[in-house]
Amino acid sequence: MGHRKFFKLGLTQKQSLIGWAFLSVAAALIIWMNFYPMARGFWFSLQSGVGAQMQFAGLFNYSRLMEDPQFRQTIGNTFLYLVIQVPVMIILALILATMLNDKSLKFRGFFRTAIFLPCAVGLVAYSLVFRQMFAVSGIVNTIAMGIGIMETPFNWFGNAWSARLIIILGLLWRWTGFNMIFYLAGLQNVDRALYEAARIDGANAFQQFWKITIPVLKPIILLTAIMSTNGTLQLFDESFNLTGGGPGITSRSMSHHIFTAAFQGIPQIGYASAMSFVILIFVATLAFIQIKIGDKR
Amino acid sequence: MKKLLALIFTIAMAGLLLSACGGSDDPAPAAGGDAVAQANELTVWSWDPAFNMFAMDVAAEIFARSNPGFVLNNVEMPWDDIDRLITTIGISGEYHLLPDIMLIQDQAIEVNVLMFPNLFTDLTGSGINFAEFAPGKTDFSVVGGRNFAVPFDNGVTITAYRVDLLAEAGLTVDDFTDITWDQAIALGRQVLEVTGMPLFSTYGVGASFMDVMVKSAGTSLFDANGQPNFVNNPAFREAVDRFIEMVDAGVMLLPGDWSDYIGTLAAHDVVGTLAGCWILGTIQDVGPEGVWAVTNIPRLNIPGGTNYSSWGGSSWVVSSNANVDLAVRFLNYTFAGSTELFDIILPAAGALSTWAPAAASTIYQEPQPFFGGQTVFADIIGFAQNIPDFVGGIHHYTAMDQIDIALGNIINLGMSIEDALAEAETAVRFEMGH
Repeated sequence: MGHRKFFKLGLTQKQSLIGWAFLSVAAALIIWMNFYPMARGFWFSLQSGVGAQMQFAGLFNYSRLMEDPQFRQTIGNTFLYLVIQVPVMIILALILATMLNDKSLKFRGFFRTAIFLPCAVGLVAYSLVFRQMFAVSGIVNTIAMGIGIMETPFNWFGNAWSARLIIILGLLWRWTGFNMIFYLAGLQNVDRALYEAARIDGANAFQQFWKITIPVLKPIILLTAIMSTNGTLQLFDESFNLTGGGPGITSRSMSHHIFTAAFQGIPQIGYASAMSFVILIFVATLAFIQIKIGDKR
Repeated sequence: MKKLLALIFTIAMAGLLLSACGGSDDPAPAAGGDAVAQANELTVWSWDPAFNMFAMDVAAEIFARSNPGFVLNNVEMPWDDIDRLITTIGISGEYHLLPDIMLIQDQAIEVNVLMFPNLFTDLTGSGINFAEFAPGKTDFSVVGGRNFAVPFDNGVTITAYRVDLLAEAGLTVDDFTDITWDQAIALGRQVLEVTGMPLFSTYGVGASFMDVMVKSAGTSLFDANGQPNFVNNPAFREAVDRFIEMVDAGVMLLPGDWSDYIGTLAAHDVVGTLAGCWILGTIQDVGPEGVWAVTNIPRLNIPGGTNYSSWGGSSWVVSSNANVDLAVRFLNYTFAGSTELFDIILPAAGALSTWAPAAASTIYQEPQPFFGGQTVFADIIGFAQNIPDFVGGIHHYTAMDQIDIALGNIINLGMSIEDALAEAETAVRFEMGH
């Protein structure tokens, strides 16, 4: 039998061979679907021209970045979303996870599901629902006028700060439950005896949260912080569908700006690729800082 | 043995996955011109089931009579999607994904021909008689002396008013004919006071509306050197000033997106509307019959200002991936050769041709009962002949995107008109410097 020789390999070798076989599929897919486009994207970012007539331009696109006030504004917008939304979301998710970890709470399963469910909703679908809710004749204005907070309908999308606020609200609604599930899972590994001991020592709920829950969840908080930072820096759907980036471009995200450069007016694929690599640098830098700060063992 | 099976299985799966995702050999379902497509079938992309897709269906029926077995694969594809697909396919070179025929906005023809020289089929010398189309229309589709598209509709801009509401303010549609924007705003205030309703509505912050105002004077947004010219451009400034004045006065309603705009017509929230003549279909849907009248648009109070403009006409292009012979025969037989086609689609869908033989049809002279017996289509053909020449150039859409942002800055963020236009001009200059 020809395959005899194959089975002459030692057990460990065979196992590692099978391991590599499985791994190679995933690795091949990642190289083909992620790394190859990234390399192509980098090559594009070194070229300039209209449409299919691209020519090598060196770092021209990168030097152009410095002179683009609109890209600067979208960086500002995106970082604004980041510094407000990510901390608020993580704190909210931690509080919710602690509350829903309480064994005495009734309908825990229901609440967990209900809070988690938004992240199963399609990005475009929820963006459009939020858009309807905050429309001039939408439900938010109707309720606010009904209970007498406002006299005339407010144009939520006609003001830079309210438009940004709606994007942040949308992000919080959609992603808080997603992060909460990570914390809940982490809390299942915490020995309840720790909390009991703390209670006996007279620690109140806040002290228990601060001295036990947070330190135990620290690696998971780090993970979610990196994931959320990454996600928010690549924010696109909300900017594009919810506010359309407006008014003006005051709520436009970096990714939305890249899309505009690549697909609207004269396509500037080279320039758009260069902007994409700026996001990559931001994400990598922030993740590196977060790992350094978080990893103080 | 199990492990060997697992290994074989894994490799087989991987192979399957890779080949399934690879896809470069598989024709996409929407693609039509591949060798595998039937010899007597055409795939077409266009975007409006009540308008251009309907026209395509009628054309296919007419063509099929003399070409038994002809099949039209009429695919609905929003213009924004077609535009992005042209860009994506053009840059990636995956031309096999293109359909045989696409509808394309006139303003987008030249820029795409220049950017992607191999994307469309050159129709010069294909047997189609382009001389029979209005020269103002074919200007858009002739690039470097070569014809790249068969004209479809004429985006003649009209205004339509509710005469019953105008009557409440003691006005008739004649008061709105051949007027300036200053006069229109004064009349609009009068109507607003009596009826409580704005004269017009439009979508977004009105960039397309502004485009129509600018085109009506043949104004270019670019100077002789091809550089954007927003700040020291009296004609453009007049258009911006009048538009903002209308918004401030409450004469112009800005409800939101396109469907919100149609909603203001359906809910009878406005006294009139200004749009391409394709809006007539919508107006006939919302009714009521007998109270609407059509006239020309207000003009900018500057030298060269006219009461005529164009709002987004479109044309058919044949892709480089097409069954060229069949596509050309089809277009030549229908959109460039069938008065019967235009006699059907004009009254049913408001599709106004720029093909001279169609204009001779008696149907254009018929009074339209819906519009109180007005010979609407004859009137619109009259408007069409007066539209000033306007070719926006390849950076037209870039300019419009920045004007959209500038209008948002002025209307919503309270930026001064000077600052907003200066910023927009700088941004366009920046985008052109790639």
